[in-house]
Amino acid sequence: MSLERIIQTEELTKHYGAFKAVQQLNCGVRSGRITGFLGRNGAGKSSTIKMLLGMIKPTSGGGTVLGHRIDDPKESLEIRRRIAYVGEDKGLYGYMTVEQLIWFTRSFYTDWRPEIEKRLLKHYRLPLDRKVKALSKGMRTKLALLLALSRSPILLILDEPTEGLDPISIEELVQTLMGAPREGTTVFFSSHQLAEVERIADDILMIDQGRSVLDMPLEQIRENYRRVTFGFADHPPALPSNFDGIERTRMNGRQITILASHNTEAIVQLGRERNAVNIDVSPLGLREIFLETVQEPDHLGKQEHHDVLV
Amino acid sequence: MYWYKSWCEIRTVILLGIASIAVACLFIVFHQQSMRDQASEPTTYVALVWKAVYDSFVFDIFFILSIVLGSDGLLHEKTIGTSGFTLALPVSRRRILLTRAFVGYCAVLAMALTPAIVLPLCSRFSGQHYSAAQALGFSLLWGCCGSIFYAYTFLLAHLMEGEHSAILVAITSLMAYRFLMAIPWLTHVPMLNIFGIVNGEDMPFFNESTHLLVGPMPWLALLVVLFIASVFVFLAVRRMETMDF
Repeated sequence: MSLERIIQTEELTKHYGAFKAVQQLNCGVRSGRITGFLGRNGAGKSSTIKMLLGMIKPTSGGGTVLGHRIDDPKESLEIRRRIAYVGEDKGLYGYMTVEQLIWFTRSFYTDWRPEIEKRLLKHYRLPLDRKVKALSKGMRTKLALLLALSRSPILLILDEPTEGLDPISIEELVQTLMGAPREGTTVFFSSHQLAEVERIADDILMIDQGRSVLDMPLEQIRENYRRVTFGFADHPPALPSNFDGIERTRMNGRQITILASHNTEAIVQLGRERNAVNIDVSPLGLREIFLETVQEPDHLGKQEHHDVLV
Repeated sequence: MYWYKSWCEIRTVILLGIASIAVACLFIVFHQQSMRDQASEPTTYVALVWKAVYDSFVFDIFFILSIVLGSDGLLHEKTIGTSGFTLALPVSRRRILLTRAFVGYCAVLAMALTPAIVLPLCSRFSGQHYSAAQALGFSLLWGCCGSIFYAYTFLLAHLMEGEHSAILVAITSLMAYRFLMAIPWLTHVPMLNIFGIVNGEDMPFFNESTHLLVGPMPWLALLVVLFIASVFVFLAVRRMETMDF
């Protein structure tokens, strides 16, 4: 089955009383790719994932996973039958042994692959006879991953998978995730580890305050996103509003720094026309784009600057 | 296979419950003579069994453990952080709760049946006789009335978060109900008193002088009790089906 958009949301909204966790989120996750889901704490990532899994009901809007509606309980069952999920807290049943939990989980799925289970058991060095509650956080994460990956699911959703893992385990996980599309698994994962996301993700979905602020292939981000800095001899002039490609502008003394998502040449030309004495164009890493996109202007570490949205 | 998880969650309580009830019954049976000697008035063996097993000590164990068994569920899983894993399984919330309620109620039945096995068997070894039919009759009453204690706590456990909130509220409210039933004008309708039905006290199907069940069992009252317990479970299911986790 080949779907262009394995996950699709339309105006997906979730309010908890007055708090707006997710606001009219429109996004898509492409089949056969690895999509990094980024956002600050409380940006709405976990709420979005929980809505995709049917754990919480949308306030309005909706979406589909594998073509099944997320707000229909029966279709949600079908979604959960076909995808795998590793939650943020990795809460597994502490009273079961590793072997019992594997046996229990396996019983719910017809697509369980014992050869993968054996391979991962050996790879992760999980003790079969140990109670889950006696495992370290890292080992519990590995067990949760084993339970998810032993089925070669069509879609793997992970919420902060590297949290609590040591560097070696993170590297193992990264390698596993990088190989997943070859096995026919689409990966959708949230993470704060931007370096890892940049290494493995094909697409980036970034949300802030419940809204999508970036939904683009990483390759395209690398090609198009630039920081353009204009230096002026005197007080900087005002720039035209809604100039194509300018995402954010900050003024700092006699300098204007622009986050450009595309159209860099035209933006540079704009600087020349405004008599900029110094023009600098530099590529941006995912971390810088993340900070520029979601961080409040007051926290950017600059002095005497103010935000000018043009 | 979801029943296996429910079994794992409550097996310690079940085994401890059955063992506690069995040990308590054995203690009463093998110390019956000294207990009767210490009684303020002459007491028959059957009366002693009724007073110690069905009216106080052993019943209290059964009552408390029925409540403890009912205090688990999806909301408790939310508290301890395993609800994400459970709800990601391809199982509906209705099936999760009904399976949990069924396995838990089976445990209540197992505890209710324990005196019916222990008392008739062990009475012989202490030179006494206790009718298996009588013991089974009381087990039937325990099994049906226990469903209310269990299901009521099950509902509370899916209404309020907190590790022991449901247990505390269930015990407190059921004790308040027990005292309420002692109000004179309510005693005219004995079938309203679940604590009376469960041991036969002041009931037409129980002989106060012989301490034996007599006449037909209160089938209608027991069916009503089971129906109310089912409503409690149904309400818990409805609450969980619409809840955000």
